[in-house]
Amino acid sequence: MIWGAIVGGLVGTLVLTTVLRATSELGLTRMDIPFLLGTAVTEDRVRAKAIGYALHFVFGLLFALVYLAIFLVLDESGVLLGAVFGFVHALFAATALVNVLLPVVHPRMGTGFDAAGSAPLLEPPGFLLLNYGRQTPLVTIIAHVLYGGIVGGFVAWAA
Amino acid sequence: MPTPNRLDGYAPIGDYAAIGDGRTVALVASDGAIDWLCLPDLDSPSVFGALLDAESGGRFELRPEEPFDTTRRYLPGTNVLETTFTTSRGVVRVTDAMTLPTSGLAPYRELVRRIEGVSGLVAMRWRIEPRPAYGTTVRLERRAGVPIATHGQDAVAMIAWDAGEPVAHDGGIEGRLLTAEGGLAHVVLAAAHQEPLVLPARPEVDARLAATERSWRDWSAGRLYEGPWRDAVVRSALALRLLVFAPSGAIAAAATTSLPEMIGGERNWDYRFSWPRDSAFTLRALLALGCSREADAFFSWLLHASQLTYPEVRVLYRLNGRPEAGERSLALAGYRGSRPVRVGNGAAGQTQLDVYGEVLDAAHEVARSDGGLDRDHARWLAGVADHVCAIWRQRDAGIWEVRSEAAHFTQSKMMCAVALDRASTLAEQGFLRGNVARWRGERDEIRAFVESRCYSEDKRSYTRSADEDLLDASLLLGVIGRYAEATSPRLLGTVDAVRRELARGPFVARYLGEDGLRGGEGAFLACSFWLVEAYARQGRIDEATALMDELIGLSNDVGLYAEEIDPATGAFLGNFPQALSHLALINAAVAVVEAAG
Repeated sequence: MIWGAIVGGLVGTLVLTTVLRATSELGLTRMDIPFLLGTAVTEDRVRAKAIGYALHFVFGLLFALVYLAIFLVLDESGVLLGAVFGFVHALFAATALVNVLLPVVHPRMGTGFDAAGSAPLLEPPGFLLLNYGRQTPLVTIIAHVLYGGIVGGFVAWAA
Repeated sequence: MPTPNRLDGYAPIGDYAAIGDGRTVALVASDGAIDWLCLPDLDSPSVFGALLDAESGGRFELRPEEPFDTTRRYLPGTNVLETTFTTSRGVVRVTDAMTLPTSGLAPYRELVRRIEGVSGLVAMRWRIEPRPAYGTTVRLERRAGVPIATHGQDAVAMIAWDAGEPVAHDGGIEGRLLTAEGGLAHVVLAAAHQEPLVLPARPEVDARLAATERSWRDWSAGRLYEGPWRDAVVRSALALRLLVFAPSGAIAAAATTSLPEMIGGERNWDYRFSWPRDSAFTLRALLALGCSREADAFFSWLLHASQLTYPEVRVLYRLNGRPEAGERSLALAGYRGSRPVRVGNGAAGQTQLDVYGEVLDAAHEVARSDGGLDRDHARWLAGVADHVCAIWRQRDAGIWEVRSEAAHFTQSKMMCAVALDRASTLAEQGFLRGNVARWRGERDEIRAFVESRCYSEDKRSYTRSADEDLLDASLLLGVIGRYAEATSPRLLGTVDAVRRELARGPFVARYLGEDGLRGGEGAFLACSFWLVEAYARQGRIDEATALMDELIGLSNDVGLYAEEIDPATGAFLGNFPQALSHLALINAAVAVVEAAG
């Protein structure tokens, strides 16, 4: 089952990243997870995106393992249950993870208390990530539901 | 100059200076207003479009609150603009630049306006009205205390330091400040595209501004030209550098769309595309100035862009290399009521045969400069030469992209002959392989066609098209493109006839015939510079020098040219700044220097 979670995590993250990128091209959001993650590590734009993609896949794998743990506790897995996890995951990301926790740990991300001062600031995401575009919550939910469904599907298939 | 007289909110076209970063260009009027800026790229929709709609296009104003005089210059050797406002109470200097990327986290695009008090006390006012997507009103919000405007995948932040408290008012952000001697303030526009905004820090903005100035100065110091009109040549090179779209190497024909060729007329086109036709002019100019890196990048872009349409070379391509350029009209008022305002360019679908001559002539220049051609490029060029053999008998829209019926335009046929002549020469030099005998045979047939049907004994000149008597300034390209010996009697006669029939003083009209559009147009500046170059290549140095001196005096106060000029008033017309005018200036100056030995 662990291989199912690992493969599901990789494929799911690939799909999630692709959906976010495609919706960005369609003008629905300015959300760019690799850029957000990478700029926590470096100020260099190109390196930030490369590092950000790598970090995103690492986090995708870690979340898949968390999903696996819950599947084991529930003794049940599948596409539908995974999609439900993805939905909850998206709400968590939009309300707490990216909205509250990321600005706290990100050295360059602004909060409501910052003003542009001695270092560049990244625009904070805001509640439900709405600062990056009004469709961003919807896009985030769709992408994470797909991610969760894929992880759930692979875990069930490997079980 | 005194405070410019805007007419219905529109400044004269010649009143603008251009700043840019190799991705996009902003136009700054002498009264301090930025009336044109497309983001994130030169061919993206405008965020400041007051140039095409003074009411609702959006602009970035920065000016004294009382009457003022303006003097402007680019900082020497740079595309950083310095505007000095003088009022009855004091003097203020504004430095405008689009910063170039450096290491460190910078905004996706950044426009910096630095305000320095020089003397006295001057009350200044600034107001930013972002209107993305060609005039869309947007809601203003705040992030980390900074006002921002968002639209889909784009966002701009408006940051002010020591420039008064930014206040939202009537769809814009504005502030007021009082400048004193030695005082310093900044207003910065930071833009994002498909990513969160980066809100820059003040010390880093200053550092980027200094680095940008240094970068431009280093680049222009490397230009090789030594001769008369050096300032104009280097300024032209810097203007061209603004129009080079750095991500691809393509060169945009101009930074704007729909600036009219006649005020109130319909000849309003989108020039934010790259025309392969300009390739030979571009490569000669770049190589003459020692810009071999830019020349190689442009040639690679040209061959790469046309891969999808091979062996056909389209009239124009998007700056990212894509061939589609669908034309549509925008609901904007147009520059001084000149409508329609078009984006996209319908000429993309036209047949224009001369483009092949320009491309193969460009390849000839590259081969001469680099000592050879890449094998893939050589194969591609041989295919293009074969294509010319197959299509040169067709009628076309000609170099001026007329929208009347297709015709056998003489310059198109001449350039087809040039294409096959250059292909044959490259083959003789061992740079490409192909059916050289066929190329030479077809070249000779084209020449026979031109000599028998495109020459008027009455006018002692080649004519605009086959079997007619009208003239066309594009025939000067017969000399410049080396269709035949520059001093051949027929080309000597043609240059004289163009001067006699199409020129008024230094101004040269493109043609006098029908083109399928209503209304007239101004004199085409590139044609005047072509006349200089034709004179120079025919050894008529005195005539070339005298005309060149006159033309240099026609630039605006910062050395820029539009596409056309109104001979009656000297006012600029058409898109601005215009690559072809500046390319033609450089090539004319180089030709005069070469001819003078």
